[in-house]
Amino acid sequence: MHMSDALLSAPVAVAADIVAAGLLVAASLRIKKNASDSAVALMGVMGAFIFAAQMVNFSVPGTGSSGHIVGGVLLGALLGPWAGFLTLTSVLIIQCLIFADGGLMALGCNVLNMAAMTTLVAYPLVMRPLLHYPAVSWKVMAVSVLTCVVGLELGACMVTVETIASHITALPPARFFLLMTGIHLAIGVVEGLATGAVLLFVQRSRPELLQPSAIHRDTRHSVRGAVITFAVAAVVIAGGLAFLASEDPDGLEWSIERIAGTSELTAEHVGVLSQAAETTQQSTALMPDYEGSFAGIAGTVMVLILVWALSSLLIRSRRRQREGA
Amino acid sequence: MSLRAMHSGTGHSPISALALLIVTLLYLGLMLSVAPEALARLLWFALYPIVMAPVAGEDYGHIFCRSLVVLPFVLLIGIFNPIYQTEPAFTVSGVIVSRGWVTFVSIVVRTLLSVQALLILVDSVGFVGLCQSLHRIGVPSVLTTQLMMVYRYMTVLLQESLDMTRARQARGYRGGSMSLSMWGSYCGQLFLRTVARSERVHRAMLARGFDGVIPVLKENKTWSGRDTAAVIVIASIFILFRWGPLPALFALG
Repeated sequence: MHMSDALLSAPVAVAADIVAAGLLVAASLRIKKNASDSAVALMGVMGAFIFAAQMVNFSVPGTGSSGHIVGGVLLGALLGPWAGFLTLTSVLIIQCLIFADGGLMALGCNVLNMAAMTTLVAYPLVMRPLLHYPAVSWKVMAVSVLTCVVGLELGACMVTVETIASHITALPPARFFLLMTGIHLAIGVVEGLATGAVLLFVQRSRPELLQPSAIHRDTRHSVRGAVITFAVAAVVIAGGLAFLASEDPDGLEWSIERIAGTSELTAEHVGVLSQAAETTQQSTALMPDYEGSFAGIAGTVMVLILVWALSSLLIRSRRRQREGA
Repeated sequence: MSLRAMHSGTGHSPISALALLIVTLLYLGLMLSVAPEALARLLWFALYPIVMAPVAGEDYGHIFCRSLVVLPFVLLIGIFNPIYQTEPAFTVSGVIVSRGWVTFVSIVVRTLLSVQALLILVDSVGFVGLCQSLHRIGVPSVLTTQLMMVYRYMTVLLQESLDMTRARQARGYRGGSMSLSMWGSYCGQLFLRTVARSERVHRAMLARGFDGVIPVLKENKTWSGRDTAAVIVIASIFILFRWGPLPALFALG
């Protein structure tokens, strides 16, 4: 579900980054206030645990294929929503920076889609009210599957909305939505089974780790917090998208409209100086409609190859100088 | 890239980690704001990784090859563009190229450039340098400390996991994926070891005077005039790429 920068437009990416940053600040403040010092060490090592757990594949029942865990709901269940959110976010940041999995500008979207939807929405709204330890095996498995399906489907919906709002791909929204939710329904069931298997083991071996502890204190107001947070997120994202879709004139158009009576400039509004500038531009530009033209693309590629060749030559000469010294 | 380079970077970056982070964010923001149809303008942004890679002590060819790893998912999504956007964009020697193919190539280029910029950033300043920069710009210490902890213990727990896999194989199990119930016990056991390790780590941190922030994050790297000048110059070039008439000037007739 990792989104790459290429599929997002700048306003959508920036809006998501702002919302994700707000959530991270809220999570940090809550953890700083409520969690003990030992929680910092536990969260750090738990992030590393998720990496290690992702490396080990399990057989997906009835398919003959294998899969690995993502870990959002598991982290929520073991650490609490806010600590789980921060831990999964740190895993996503490291996946982005070290493994180039998901883009840097798309980090906000990935944090919202994968970390926030599972730990701050699905876990507090589905798993916590339904599952009280000790619980029978089937209940642990059923609630885990339900929570993971809800979390991943919400994430898939977010991916669809962000992709369609960016207008980068030509995928029809309905088909893309069906494709994403269909795939993530299956992934959610598998993720739920894996999450349930780990929770059952922990319940059998160290049941005290599943009880509310110092680190779980941050969950007390998490449902209210999650609802408020997502209301704010919805407003910010909607604001960002409204800006994109606004039919009102922008600042320049508004100014022109005030001056000329219309935002569309016609020949009579254009002065002699402007005509001269346009003529100069036409004479310097070898292809007027260059940005999407083959000539523009080919010319730019030629320049890039030239610069690459020059920089390679410079590096080689620098290396030779170093070896000579 | 070696582990040492991943940790502290190549050390060849002419500007500080924070300046390079700002430049990279500016680059990504402006590059991603180019319309998918404006492929010639987008290609101008390729100059940044081509020039910056050698400046940061990296081979651009190597960076380019590493960036190809992320293509499969983007190709899967982007390939729908030629199917749905069939209106002609331009003609090359009598062959009509549709708008869908232009936007498809644009998506591929955006992907490669964004990953290349990220690779240059991480390779040249290292993960620790990045965390220090995030700490300096006011990212909460809980998050930067968390990032450092996950980064440091990632390899330790991977080793723990490998030890468990080896022990499983020594007991006659073959490699490959395991059944779900066995995987649950395996990861549950790994989780218990993780909790035990975190308790040891916490005691060790307290013994070394841990006060909520890992000391390496507090190392103060000063922002020089050179950084300011570099950010202004590079940002101006990016603005020129984004809004200037460069693609038209270099278009082939």
